[in-house]
Amino acid sequence: MIGAIGAKAIEDASRVGRFGRFAWRALGACGWSMVRTRTYPLIWTQMNVIGVRSVPIVMITGAFVGMILAVQAYDQLAGMGLEEHLGVLINISVVKELGPVLAAVMLAGRVGGALTAELGTMNVTEQIDAVKSMGTDPVRHLVAPRLLACLLLTPALIIYADLLGVLGGYFVGVMQFGINSQGYWSFSASGVELWDVVVGVVKGFFFGAAIAVISCYKGFTCKEGAHGVGQACTEAFVASFISILALDFTLAVVFKAIYNTFWPLRSLVG
Amino acid sequence: MAFEKSGRIKERKSGKAKIRVEKAENNKGTTGRGDNGVVVIKNLTKKFGDNVVLDNISLSIEKGKTTVVIGPSGCGKTVLIKNFIVLLRPSSGEVYFKNKRIDNLPEEKLNKIRTHYGFLFQGGALFDSLSVAENIMFPIVQHYKITDWRQVEEVVKAKLTMVGLDGFQQFYPANLSGGQKKRVALARAIALNPEVILYDEPTTGLDPIRADTINELILKLQRELGETTVVVTHDMTSAYKIADRIVMLHNGKIIADGDADYIRNHSHPVVRQFITGQVNEEDLAVLRASGGISQAKFLPRDFEE
Repeated sequence: MIGAIGAKAIEDASRVGRFGRFAWRALGACGWSMVRTRTYPLIWTQMNVIGVRSVPIVMITGAFVGMILAVQAYDQLAGMGLEEHLGVLINISVVKELGPVLAAVMLAGRVGGALTAELGTMNVTEQIDAVKSMGTDPVRHLVAPRLLACLLLTPALIIYADLLGVLGGYFVGVMQFGINSQGYWSFSASGVELWDVVVGVVKGFFFGAAIAVISCYKGFTCKEGAHGVGQACTEAFVASFISILALDFTLAVVFKAIYNTFWPLRSLVG
Repeated sequence: MAFEKSGRIKERKSGKAKIRVEKAENNKGTTGRGDNGVVVIKNLTKKFGDNVVLDNISLSIEKGKTTVVIGPSGCGKTVLIKNFIVLLRPSSGEVYFKNKRIDNLPEEKLNKIRTHYGFLFQGGALFDSLSVAENIMFPIVQHYKITDWRQVEEVVKAKLTMVGLDGFQQFYPANLSGGQKKRVALARAIALNPEVILYDEPTTGLDPIRADTINELILKLQRELGETTVVVTHDMTSAYKIADRIVMLHNGKIIADGDADYIRNHSHPVVRQFITGQVNEEDLAVLRASGGISQAKFLPRDFEE
């Protein structure tokens, strides 16, 4: 019993170690790729696949988040005569939390699953071994462009999600429920600071990196056969999703501490 | 080769082209049994968990000759040649390439060593998303600074001509037959003019005519390029045709090592059984004793209560 628990603990620790080493190599490879212009076409291709083609789904997600928040919150605020404050509630929720998190979750499903399936299939058909056999580092060639594309474009996609979330909330709040437009925007402007938008966008870098590294790692280490690739895709999505939530919590704590420490000082320098 | 002679494609790191001249080098009298081989493994053991796949094997691959590794499916042939190029690292033991130990090198240094090898994978391992031409260009683009793409296209054409597939440049792997995929993979494997070519089951899954085409291609490349060749196969027709030396693996150990005639006349019962392709009496007895076909047949009503 104790032996089995010990063996499991050692196996889990070595698995974490392998992932950590892979992530470290991937980040190193990103630095290498950024200073070599010949890798730019690879990065450009992945940016198109990962970023550009994700724009519609991320915008749809953002729009529905804004609209749903408006529908759910209107009655409570209207009951207290505070319906013009709906904009603050929707916009701060969207730009700080729901926009980044739900956009990242959509990306984990759309992009993460595709990355794992593609690299997993390459792994089981020995294409990754073929890259190695020709003297090319597969992490540099296959992982770095995908990681850079996710890292750079997830924040941009979050901005799209935020924009559509804000517009979706405005559409339902002002057009459907008839809230005064000027009041809606006025309260929004007073309640949402640049800091809130920046926090949401910065989270995108971390979410993008987590999605790419986890998905590529699962693809590189997937087991043989169709079942192995399918299982790797499932594991990649679950691990990415949990990582997004854990990172979101950690970053919320960190950014709150930074905000409380430094943001009040801006009046001194400004 | 046009691009090498012109020097317009330069090796990235050093800035000057290192040219490996394609010429048939005659065997200089190395025995292939000592440490003078181009690829040498010493006391190599490979384990996956508790499963010992290769058990303390020592082998020297003779320069300019074709060595064929035979053995039943699952005996560790592929694991062995993947150790030659350190795609798998040995659990213990040493791997040498031209008298330099390589199994303990970091990946960065290994990548340079690997450009001296060509590897034909069992399924071809062509990149699905790239065309035939792009597949063959891949190693060239990775290791050379291209200044004249027309010359690269000429190289691709020359490599495809060698394997009899000129004109297929724009095809994608999905549009090729099994034999064509292997030939394109072979063209890619020789793109960098390797000194050693490793073939993993080159004739598996092909009809006898296509298999013989691949055999002839291996002989042609060996004759024209003079490189060292290692072939892993369980196809004895192929082994007898192309081998200068045949090595048989069984239960993770080498049980026979010699030329085709030596293997053909070998007295070891396992070798004899393998080369004649006959099931042994024990396995036959198990098959005869197990359930008859009448017991294996069923009808839907058999499952009804």
